Amino acid sequence: MLEVRDLTTSYGSVVALNSVSLTVVESKITTVIGANGAGKSTLLRTISGLEKPASGSVTWNGESLLGKRPEEIVRMGIAHVPEGHAVISALTVEENISMGALFRRRTHKNDIAQATEELYTLFPRLLERRKQLAGTLSGGERQMLAISRALVSRPSLLLLDEPSLGLAPLVVEQIIDSINVLSQKTGLTVLLVEQNANTALSVADYGVLLSLGKVAAYLPADELKADASLRAAYLGY
Amino acid sequence: MFLAASSFEPYNQGQLAVTLTLFIGILSIVILTGISGQISLGQSALMAVGGYSTALMIINLSMSLWIAIPLSIISGGVAGLLLGTVAARLSGPYLAGTTLVVALAIPSIATRFDSIFKGDEVLEVDVGYPPAWFVRAFGDPTYEMWQFYVALPFALLALFFASNLLLSRSGRVWRSIRDHEIASALAGVKVSRQKVFVFTISASFAGLAGALYGLRGSVGPSTYPTSLSLLLLTGAILGGIRSIAGAFIGSVLVVFLPDWIDLAVHSFELSEQVSNYLPALVGGILLILTVVLNPAGVAGGSHLHKHK
Amino acid sequence: MDTLLAALFTGTSRGAIYALVAMGLVLVWRGAGIVNFAQMGQAMFSTYIASSLIMNGYSYWLAFFVAIAAGALLGVFLDLAVMRPLSNKKQTELLSSASMRAAVPVIASLGILGVLQALAGVFWAAEERGFQAPFAQEGYTIAGRVMPFTSFDLFVMSVVTFTLILTVLFFKKTGVGLAMRASALDQEVAKLSGIRTNGVRALSWAISGAASSLAGLLLTPTSNLSPYTLDLALIIGFTAAVVGGLDSLPGSVIGGFILGFVISFVNYYLTPEDIYLAILAVLVFVLVVRPRGILGGKDTRRV
Repeated sequence: MLEVRDLTTSYGSVVALNSVSLTVVESKITTVIGANGAGKSTLLRTISGLEKPASGSVTWNGESLLGKRPEEIVRMGIAHVPEGHAVISALTVEENISMGALFRRRTHKNDIAQATEELYTLFPRLLERRKQLAGTLSGGERQMLAISRALVSRPSLLLLDEPSLGLAPLVVEQIIDSINVLSQKTGLTVLLVEQNANTALSVADYGVLLSLGKVAAYLPADELKADASLRAAYLGY
Repeated sequence: MFLAASSFEPYNQGQLAVTLTLFIGILSIVILTGISGQISLGQSALMAVGGYSTALMIINLSMSLWIAIPLSIISGGVAGLLLGTVAARLSGPYLAGTTLVVALAIPSIATRFDSIFKGDEVLEVDVGYPPAWFVRAFGDPTYEMWQFYVALPFALLALFFASNLLLSRSGRVWRSIRDHEIASALAGVKVSRQKVFVFTISASFAGLAGALYGLRGSVGPSTYPTSLSLLLLTGAILGGIRSIAGAFIGSVLVVFLPDWIDLAVHSFELSEQVSNYLPALVGGILLILTVVLNPAGVAGGSHLHKHK
Repeated sequence: MDTLLAALFTGTSRGAIYALVAMGLVLVWRGAGIVNFAQMGQAMFSTYIASSLIMNGYSYWLAFFVAIAAGALLGVFLDLAVMRPLSNKKQTELLSSASMRAAVPVIASLGILGVLQALAGVFWAAEERGFQAPFAQEGYTIAGRVMPFTSFDLFVMSVVTFTLILTVLFFKKTGVGLAMRASALDQEVAKLSGIRTNGVRALSWAISGAASSLAGLLLTPTSNLSPYTLDLALIIGFTAAVVGGLDSLPGSVIGGFILGFVISFVNYYLTPEDIYLAILAVLVFVLVVRPRGILGGKDTRRV
């Protein structure tokens, strides 16, 4: 279980996260929605260790994540797929995936092979293109690759940042569905940041509405989805 | 001050002259690197140009000291213009590396075309003797003091011009290029042209320094080694790369530090091997420490400088 | 014809060594984002260590491997002691300027070079030494004619070829190699993949230190060893790296050989004094015509 308490992160004088508190329930999908600039990406980046918060706490199964380097947090079972650039274009599809499991190579060789196979089954397009450079892939394939890179290490918590950005709705659906299926099957905990509130709320179990760095609402997803006044106030529809 | 100086040993008097000379050289770095942000290791080559042109004019054309030295400003400037046209397109390590190669290549021209430049045989020039009217007015100085007196007006000239440059509109433009190159270009600054301009001006300072440096006695391919560029850079960093006061502090440090170190370790019985290289070692360590801990140098954060 | 053959052979064997130097520079550029101007100073230092060992009666081969190990350790030390603190420095007014941020590591590496050269003076009186390799420096005699290559040249070629193959295999086939490539290309994604980027960076310094020490060991037998003999190798290596593309390892190899041939031909057909000018000409030519180098990628242009 991921516990975030009074987390405050600033960029210089701009306060991106203002005393944010939330709980990410194990084996469930929690989605963070909100307008641009609401602080959603900053939240993920603070949890994964890329940003240092000014105050507050983040604990995963009781252990604090603060002050740890991102590469150490990964080894605790938390994988972050950042928005935009999440694959390395100059490396092949295969290399991008094995990159995600390098830190386990010595101890879990067979499991990695197994995990890789499962991912190729989940995303057959990647199997076809496995020797190609990641830079030659389409947007949707790159996103699948990014997620594969994160999943190959069999994380317990997946931080997914705007997977739908720049992708066609059909592709987005496929990707979100795969995540859903994965979560059901393996008990993977997911913290999903999404611009596309509708799509996110249809698969999520819980929803966090972030506005200007503050938590405006934290509800079960279908309640959040049904609340028209909240939607109008914060999401504009 | 002059009275005090005349009571120094000739060796120390000579050092005063070198201090003024290196002050001018370090000013060239303050202008180029401190103000416009371009890092060049080629100052020794530009000094060589100034030194050689002055020496050749004195020897071959029997020109007077007082005409030949100012002409080194021009010859240095021309060399800087040439260097600048290539260098202005470069930045960071590309610029540093290229100017380093230039610093190594220029002295080799002297050996390559030794018919003109006399190759390894050095050109011998010196500051000559003071004119009669000077001796009547100030007494007969030692040779080293005369070196100092010759260098002094040029150092003051350099100080005056550098000061004006730093405070001028050009200075502001160069600082904006240093700090926000893209923004400056968008604001209409012709960045390349300005960079070449700075190179030219900085090189004219270096040429002048080179002329005075060579007038200590000889101009040859080994008079202006690459280590001279590094010496100037070290002085600039230690003293404060963004100010004139920093340049002066730097030149004093660079010239007198070796002696102070020798004095400090005098009581320890160090082998000759160690004591020979201790100043260089300390200098290098100081450079590293300054760059890591306080890149702005001694003069950096103080009120000694009027502008950034 | 003889001169041509000699020039070609020398160009090849020297070019191979310059490829090593260039590779070292590219490794640290990719891994740490700086051009290490002190690199050949490190090599000089290691070679002095080897030379002292040999002078004290130890075998060449022991000295050889000790020098390479020393080069690697020295590289790691420099990363931890100087370059790491440098990049962790908080923002000051001076460092808010992008051009000063680029200049500071250059100056630091020059300071390191100065310190290493001064230490060579302190430890070994900066004395110029010969450095004999256990290989003949005379050409083979085949069918009565003296060939323009020596057994030392063969040694150089085999060592460098072996090293290059090892390097390619390392980067393409091993996990550590992949980690290094990933960190150099995108440090953030590498960290998020669990790669310890600090360790990877120290490793690039170590490998670069080892490669350059090897280059130093291979260069000094044909010239003398002094604190300054390898300075020329640095600018040749730098030019080679720029020619090949500062961010490309294969490029550095190509650049090394190109420079090797250029210098060799200048040596044989013109005069040795022209070398510096030739190097300058090559450098300026590349920077004006194709600044990113032969194999350089387009997003690394700092020009």
